[in-house]
Amino acid sequence: MTEVQLDLTVNGRRHRLSVPAHYSLLDVLRDELELTGTKTNCLEAECGVCTVVLDGKSVASCAVLAAQCQGREVTTVEGLAEGAALHPLQEAFVEFGAVQCGYCIPGMIMTAKAFLDENPRPTREAVREAIAGTLCRCTGYQKIVDAIMAASQRLSQQGERA
Amino acid sequence: MKLEFLAPQTLQDAVTMAKARGDAARFIAGGTDLVIQARKSGTWPEAVINLQQIPDLGEIKGSGQNFSLGSLVTHRQIEREGRFAGALEALRESACVIGGHQVRNVATVGGNLCNASPAADMVPILLCLNAEVALAGSEGRRVVPLASFIEGPRKTKRAHDEVMTEIAFSAPAQKFASAFLKGGRRRAMEISIVAMAGVVSVSRDGKLTDVRLAMGAAGPKAIRLTEVEKFLEGKALSKDVLEETGRLAAAAASPIDDVRASASFRRHLAGVYARRVVELSWNRISEVGNDRSAA
Repeated sequence: MTEVQLDLTVNGRRHRLSVPAHYSLLDVLRDELELTGTKTNCLEAECGVCTVVLDGKSVASCAVLAAQCQGREVTTVEGLAEGAALHPLQEAFVEFGAVQCGYCIPGMIMTAKAFLDENPRPTREAVREAIAGTLCRCTGYQKIVDAIMAASQRLSQQGERA
Repeated sequence: MKLEFLAPQTLQDAVTMAKARGDAARFIAGGTDLVIQARKSGTWPEAVINLQQIPDLGEIKGSGQNFSLGSLVTHRQIEREGRFAGALEALRESACVIGGHQVRNVATVGGNLCNASPAADMVPILLCLNAEVALAGSEGRRVVPLASFIEGPRKTKRAHDEVMTEIAFSAPAQKFASAFLKGGRRRAMEISIVAMAGVVSVSRDGKLTDVRLAMGAAGPKAIRLTEVEKFLEGKALSKDVLEETGRLAAAAASPIDDVRASASFRRHLAGVYARRVVELSWNRISEVGNDRSAA
């Protein structure tokens, strides 16, 4: 097995790892770093459940080779809360009950995170388009969109205060 | 499984590595096709050669009429490109229907073309723009029209040691507009069952001119609909003209039955989308700000 030497920053922490060259970013996050908040599902970049933020952009971590992430920065759902304080997106998902089985939620939240970073005050329509690549198959999207809209308002208010 | 990961820093090194390893090595750009295919089939190449660190392949260059897309330009870049707003809108429309954001943020236009799926969504509009692809290999550099570059399903003229470096095209000299429509069973995350792109211009006396239509996913490769284009030249848009457009486009389709749609439904959709694309681009002509003759 040929290994690659990987230098990767995840949630602000720098890691130096030796991983098999065929490992995806998802494999490294879950199996090497034991960050199992990012879920495994379709492994075809179709469902969005494995979405993480790579250098500021949402990516399907199942379809990205870890070796191609050399020197790059990854944020996973574990990297959002600050200590015990949840991120406004996480708070809003809890508050609006935007969860049923919960399996898509880490991917949904990371998809929304990258989207709101680029579009701080989106319309509902834009939110729906933004999450088109992240599938929920139980609760439906209404409450998820409500939660993302509410989070966008809180984040912009925080931004204005800061 | 013994995959070797190679990370050349220059184009020359990438070509040399590919030549030395022959068919056992594959280039990797965004990886969204290669990684998924390899995992699904359980067959990885012996080596992948990463193109992402090679300088200059990730830029959109040009202005006015002449543009080039670096092969590593992502769908994300194309869908957000201000220079393509307006007359070249079909480029953005084609880029923004591929996968979800998570894929478009990574997947490259060069990958879309080299993977040569009959349903590759970037191909029809680039055919309309008479795009040419540049390839750099151990025998030197060459430029190939996209129309002949893609030979059939998953088959291109690219030699195994050739890297696609850029895709160049010229927009029409006169005022024009473009449109892209895609038919699938859903409105997102769907592999096209028919994709249609069009570029039209209107002459001073209000007739269609220099019409270009291309269709994807309705045959072994995307094609220009030359019969429809000839028919539309010099015509004013009318209900009858649109009907004939649909009939000719459906006749030009050579679709297959598969899990996504029957051949007859694809043929039907080819007609519908040809009509809609011509009508939509015609309607857009008055909205686009590219009238150089008036300047």
